[in-house]
Amino acid sequence: MRARIQIIGSQLLTLAALGLFGGLLSASLVRFAPGYGVDERELDPRLSQASVEAIRNSHRLTGGLLSYYRHFLASALQGDFGRSEWLERPVSSLIKERFPVTARSVVLGVTLAWATALGISLSGLFFRGFFLDISGTLASSVLIALPTAVIAVFSVYLRAPVFLAIAVVMFPKLFRYLRNLLAEAYAQPYILAARSRGIGRARILFQHVLPLASPALFALFGVSLSMAFGAAIPIEALCDSPGVGQLAWQAALNRDLPLIMNLTLLITLLTVAANLLANAAHERAL
Amino acid sequence: MLRGISAVILCVIFTAGLFAGAVAPYPYTKQFRERVNAAPSASHWLGTDSLGRDLFARLVYGTRVSLLLSPAAAFLSTLIAGVLGGFAGLVGGWCERLILAAADLSMALPLLFVLLALRALLPLNVSPLVSVIATFALLGLLGWPSSLRVVWATTKNLRNSDFLLLARATGCGRSRMIARHVLPNLRPVMFAQFWISIPLFVLTEATLSMLGLGVMEPLPSWGNLLRGLEDVSAVSTNPWRLAPLIVLMVVVVCFQLILPTPEETA
Repeated sequence: MRARIQIIGSQLLTLAALGLFGGLLSASLVRFAPGYGVDERELDPRLSQASVEAIRNSHRLTGGLLSYYRHFLASALQGDFGRSEWLERPVSSLIKERFPVTARSVVLGVTLAWATALGISLSGLFFRGFFLDISGTLASSVLIALPTAVIAVFSVYLRAPVFLAIAVVMFPKLFRYLRNLLAEAYAQPYILAARSRGIGRARILFQHVLPLASPALFALFGVSLSMAFGAAIPIEALCDSPGVGQLAWQAALNRDLPLIMNLTLLITLLTVAANLLANAAHERAL
Repeated sequence: MLRGISAVILCVIFTAGLFAGAVAPYPYTKQFRERVNAAPSASHWLGTDSLGRDLFARLVYGTRVSLLLSPAAAFLSTLIAGVLGGFAGLVGGWCERLILAAADLSMALPLLFVLLALRALLPLNVSPLVSVIATFALLGLLGWPSSLRVVWATTKNLRNSDFLLLARATGCGRSRMIARHVLPNLRPVMFAQFWISIPLFVLTEATLSMLGLGVMEPLPSWGNLLRGLEDVSAVSTNPWRLAPLIVLMVVVVCFQLILPTPEETA
C-alpha cells in the first residue's frame, strides 16, 4: 500500500514538474518571440505621445522572463491562460468551447482504431488465416504511406466524420505494433506447451497471450492518444471541424503564440496524464 | 526480390530529383498562360496546374526538395539521438536520467503541435529557401526522441557486455573503446533509425506543406504539390493531379520494404 502511494505521488510530481517546465517553455517562447510587446496601436497617428508611452509602459510591466512566467503561472492557477491575440478572446473560453469537439473525435477515433487493429490481429492469430493477415498488412502498408492531410482530404470527399479519419490514420500504426506484439507473445514456448496440451485457442489468447503483451499494450495506449491529437490538427483543419486542432492551425497561421503555446501545453499534459493512468492501470492489473 | 525492386525504384526517383535540371523539360516556375489546367500531352507529360506551370517539372523539382532534404533531416535527428543516447548509455547516473526524462517529455509532445508552435515563431512571409530549411531543420531537431531510446538501450547493453569488460580489464582507454568497440556496434542501429526516419519526415513535410506551414510557393515540394488535391472538382476532371501522391506513396512503401529487419539490425 505504501509503495503504491509512493508511486502515485511520484507520478503526480512528474505531472506537476512537467506542467511547470512546459509552462516555462511556453512562456519563454512567447516572451522571446520576435514582435513580443509591440502593439500596433503605437503606429496610430491619432494617439498622443503620452498615450503611446502609456501603451509601452503597460507592456513593460511584464518585461522580464521570470516576471512574465510568474504572471503566467499566477493567472493559470486562476484559470486565466491569457488572451488570444488573433481572436481577442480569453484562451480558456476558446479551449472550453473547442476541446469537447476534439476530445469526442479523438476518443471515438482511438477506440475504433484500437478495436479494428486488435480485432484483426487477434483474428489473425485465432483463425491462423493467411488472408486476414495479408489483407491487414496490405491495408496498413497503403494507409501508412498516406500523409494525414491527404486522408483528411479524402474524408472530405467521402463526407466521412472526423473520428473516422483519425481512426484511419491511427489504424496502420497500431496494427503493426499489435500484430508483432501478439505474434511474439504467441510464439513463446509455454504457449506452444499449452497448445500441445489441447487448451483452446480462445483461452490461450485471452488468458495467456493478452496478459503477456499487456505492458506494451498499456504503453501503446498512452502513445496512441498523443498520435491522435497530432492527427487531429490536419484533419480538423481540412475537414473544417471546430476543434482544438483547427484552432492550433489557425493560431499558427495567425502567429497567435499565447494560444498555440497554451494548446500545446494542454495536449502535452493530457498525454502525460493518459500515460500515467495507463501505467497505474497496468500496475493495478498485475 | 522485393527489396531489390524497391532499391531500384528509389534509385531512379532519387537520381531524377538530383538531376532535376536535366530531367525536367522546363523550369518549375515557367508559366504557360495559354495552357492553364492542360491535360497530359507530348509537351507537358503530366499536364499543367491552375497557373499554367508544367506539373512534371514541378514534380521532379519537388522530388529534389523532399527526397534530398528528408535524409538530411533524418541524419540530423539520428546524429542527435546517437550523441545523446550513446552518452546516456555509456555514462549512466543522473546524466542518463536527465537525458531519458527529456526524451520522454519530447515523446509526450505531439510532434505536429510542436512543429506548428515553432513554425509560428517564424514569420509566414519568409523566402521559399528559408521555409525549406526551417521546415526540415525543425523536423531534424524534433525527431530524435524515439531513436534516442533505441540507441540508449543498445549502448547500455554494450556497456554491460563481456567484450567491453574485457577491453576495460586490458587497460583500453575510454576514447579508444568508444571508437573501436562501441561505435562499430552502434552503426547498424543508427543506420536503421536513419532509414526509418526518412519516410516519416517525408510524410510530415507533406502534411505541413498541405497546411500552408511547410515549403512555400513557388518552390515545389511533394507537400505543396499535394495541395492541388484540395480542389475536388479539379481532381475529378484532372486525375493526373494524383501523380505527386502516387510518387510519394511509392517512395514511402519502397522505404518500408528496404528497411533492415530487427534480426539484420542485431
